[in-house]
Amino acid sequence: MAQTSARKQGVGSVIWEYLTTVDHKKIAILYLIAGGFFFVLGGIEAMLIRIQLAVPNNDFLSAGLFNEVITMHGTTMIFLAAMPLLFAFMNATVPLQIGARDLAFPFLNSLGVWLFIFGGIFLNLSWFMGGAPDAGWTSYASLSIASPGHGIDFYALGLQISGAGTLITGINFATTIITMRAPGMTYMRMPLMTWTTLVASVLIVFAFPPLTIGIFLLMFDRMFGSNFFIVEAGGNTIIWEHLFWIFGHPEVYILILPAFGIFSEIFATFARKRLFGYSAMVFATVLIGFFGFMVWAHHMFTVGLGPTANAIFAVATMAIAVPTGIKIFNWIATIWGGSIEFTTPMLYALAFIPSFTMGGVTGIMQAAAPADYQYHDSYFIVAHFHYVIVGGVVFALLAGLHYYWPIMFNTMLNETLGKITFWFFFVGFHMTFLIQHFLGLWGMPRRVFTYLDGQGYNAANMISTIGAFLMAIAVIVLVVNIIITLAKNERVGMDPWGDGRTLEWSIPLPVPYYNFAQIPLVRGLDAYWVEKKEGNGKMMPSESLTDFHMPNNSILPVVMSLGLFIAAFGAMYFPDGQEWAIDAVSGLEPKPWALPVLIIGLGITFVSMGIRSWKDDLGYYVTKEEVERDLEELERGGK
Amino acid sequence: MAELNQEPMTKAQLEYLRRQRTREMRQQLVSFGLMIFLTFIAFGLTAMEVIPAQFTIPLVLGFAFIQVILQFYYFMHMKDNGHQFAKLFMMTGFYFAIAFCVTFVYIVWIGAPVN
Amino acid sequence: MANMEYNVPTERWPAHPETATQEGQNKFVGFWIFLAGETALFASLFATYLALKDSVPSDDHLLAADLFHLPLAFVMTMLLLTSSLTSVYAVYHMRNNNFQKMQLWLGITVLLGAAFLALEIYEFVEYTGLGHTFRSSAFGSAFYFLIGTHGFHVIVGLIWATLLILRNAKRGLSVYTAAKVNTFALYWHFIDVVWVFIFTIVYLLGVL
Repeated sequence: MAQTSARKQGVGSVIWEYLTTVDHKKIAILYLIAGGFFFVLGGIEAMLIRIQLAVPNNDFLSAGLFNEVITMHGTTMIFLAAMPLLFAFMNATVPLQIGARDLAFPFLNSLGVWLFIFGGIFLNLSWFMGGAPDAGWTSYASLSIASPGHGIDFYALGLQISGAGTLITGINFATTIITMRAPGMTYMRMPLMTWTTLVASVLIVFAFPPLTIGIFLLMFDRMFGSNFFIVEAGGNTIIWEHLFWIFGHPEVYILILPAFGIFSEIFATFARKRLFGYSAMVFATVLIGFFGFMVWAHHMFTVGLGPTANAIFAVATMAIAVPTGIKIFNWIATIWGGSIEFTTPMLYALAFIPSFTMGGVTGIMQAAAPADYQYHDSYFIVAHFHYVIVGGVVFALLAGLHYYWPIMFNTMLNETLGKITFWFFFVGFHMTFLIQHFLGLWGMPRRVFTYLDGQGYNAANMISTIGAFLMAIAVIVLVVNIIITLAKNERVGMDPWGDGRTLEWSIPLPVPYYNFAQIPLVRGLDAYWVEKKEGNGKMMPSESLTDFHMPNNSILPVVMSLGLFIAAFGAMYFPDGQEWAIDAVSGLEPKPWALPVLIIGLGITFVSMGIRSWKDDLGYYVTKEEVERDLEELERGGK
Repeated sequence: MAELNQEPMTKAQLEYLRRQRTREMRQQLVSFGLMIFLTFIAFGLTAMEVIPAQFTIPLVLGFAFIQVILQFYYFMHMKDNGHQFAKLFMMTGFYFAIAFCVTFVYIVWIGAPVN
Repeated sequence: MANMEYNVPTERWPAHPETATQEGQNKFVGFWIFLAGETALFASLFATYLALKDSVPSDDHLLAADLFHLPLAFVMTMLLLTSSLTSVYAVYHMRNNNFQKMQLWLGITVLLGAAFLALEIYEFVEYTGLGHTFRSSAFGSAFYFLIGTHGFHVIVGLIWATLLILRNAKRGLSVYTAAKVNTFALYWHFIDVVWVFIFTIVYLLGVL
């Protein structure tokens, strides 16, 4: 049962290995590949939007297609690119940072990634099967119930499947960080990346169930004839807005907190200083997580919830600026007086501070409810959230990609090309979105496919489009960089940046499949740095070299996800042509095969869950002899 | 799955464990009795309508919360050691739950408040 | 392949067998976190129900006060509360290393749960006959979605417990199976917690 990592494998067995793997390092690569693919897809959609808006009265995209493109751009970027890419870095680093051999539930980790992949594929199949969703990424109920055809159904079912995967992964990470820490790794010694992962996971646990319910309501209305949002039958569309934003606002913190974690690691490493105000940082992270749940209605100021509700949510929203400010000042204080090394990840980190702060400041402007009536539904909002999401999350993803690349692939991305990417991306980003603040204030509405000549929008939109092209060039350079790096495949040794502070840098590269031959003993914050300064530069083991236990691979996660994927088609075509169905689909040709497909799909999933429960899955043991052989080989190779 | 590495226990230890479990079982039976009792009262108050509805509503809601606390602390062993994180998670969950319900009761309708 | 020791003599049976291994501990922590997520899930359902309660398209639709009758809800509550106690007994015997009694109490739990489910189905059939259906009004949709999700959890619990009884019948008790039984018991208690709020908020406050 033991894996043979050293033996040369054929293509088929590599694919099989990745289909069945439960190893967090391989799952990280799966997340990176799938998330990277969807990132490029969402990027192409963004380029289409900018080309359409480059000149007034453009007919590059039709109005309907433009709606589909903006919906899919937002949905893809949030659910299928940003979050999975963050999961990639969490998977690659968190178990190593806390000194664990794998996550708490390796099987569920695999289930999470496959649910995400199948959900993402399902959502994007809409392009080829009668049109993509077109009600915006928020999919407000009045629009989404009216939208004809099956576009919205793809949105609802695809997000339901991938959302289930996200929830599972959130539970998994929270459990791992609570139970699997190495001896000496107390909560207040955990690296910030681990802390932010923990808080983001907790947010996932509480934020995704409301989304699940919201999407179920939408699914039932569209596919099974219920009346949650059908106003004539007593329904209420505000329910969707509430449920969506109860999820949607924590979602932005789910995205930004791990980004903060990545940057905190990078600042400390490349300023060669301990993170300033560590405990304040932890406190601020938890506080942001908590406040993140109490502010969702600031997305709904213009709904007419009343002055009392608006005031409460406005004040709570402004309060979030306090812990975020604490973080910004702590990062600046970390760099202050440090011996800074301007590597590519550090460039992103330095650019992140002003960019993200600008996004934060416009956020406070919108938190003032009366002022928000002016900004609402204009390009000002578009500029604001791209400043926080791109200036925060995407910068972190690109920085993390360069920073953690050696841990994931045992080789380093080219620094020169990396810096070229950075400058193109940085300039392009500000060029695209800074001007959009002004477009918004001049009155240009968002989500409209074109604008008239002579309104004063022409030059600004052209500048914005040119900026988008610069970002596209940056991504192309990055892809070239990745291809060159993988082709050259120059192996690097342990601690390739030379200034690693946390446990993940204390492991030989490539990381053995069992991570740690002996679980290390943690003696302080920045465990590896402590050993470099006070010890002999090696982690002390907390246990003698013994046999230890590892989980078995399994194909069941793929089968379970496939079952839901099949069932989704059944659910989607179920209402076609039925007399109780909503107008959007009641005119379509009836599909008698829909119900059997739904039942078969769910059957596959439930039967494989039963098999999983019925069979004993006890894992296998890695023997002491095997670990000793690996250590000897490492000794010889290292000299 | 790590093998079981439990040292054999002495007679006295086993006896102690057994006594403790019996005591715990007794507590659980008492809390079950309380839960049944509270259910009776809640249904009784509602069915008989002996007191006005605006008093009955907070009262039966209060009974529900007491029942749930009993269920969590005794049936689900939340009173035992090693449940700190469980308490933290459930309390956070209940806090959010109350927040969701309050907003959905008071601010889901359009129109009225803007005067 | 790792081995698992079954039918451990009582002097080597740990005080908390369900969390005696790292995997058991993970399962225990992970399941509590899952239950916290379920709290948010049911909170959204309750909130939706509260927002749509008695929200019907026209006056000829039945409202909560016309539909619900307390005796049935009372019997259902008693069945589910008692089944919660019987699963406490199952865990008690599991900790005492008494496999046969554990199986017995799990079996009783399943029977009580099945009786509850039968009454719930009876109730649904009755309401449907009165014209209160999933598709008749927003109130109907919200009612069936809330109660139905709880009912779905009961069905899952029943299948889960039955599978556990059958699979463990051949194997006996080990720290591996003990963790599974304990997890099921937590799940079953949580279903009861949700039902406490359902009978209070839906039925009691519904008829007031």
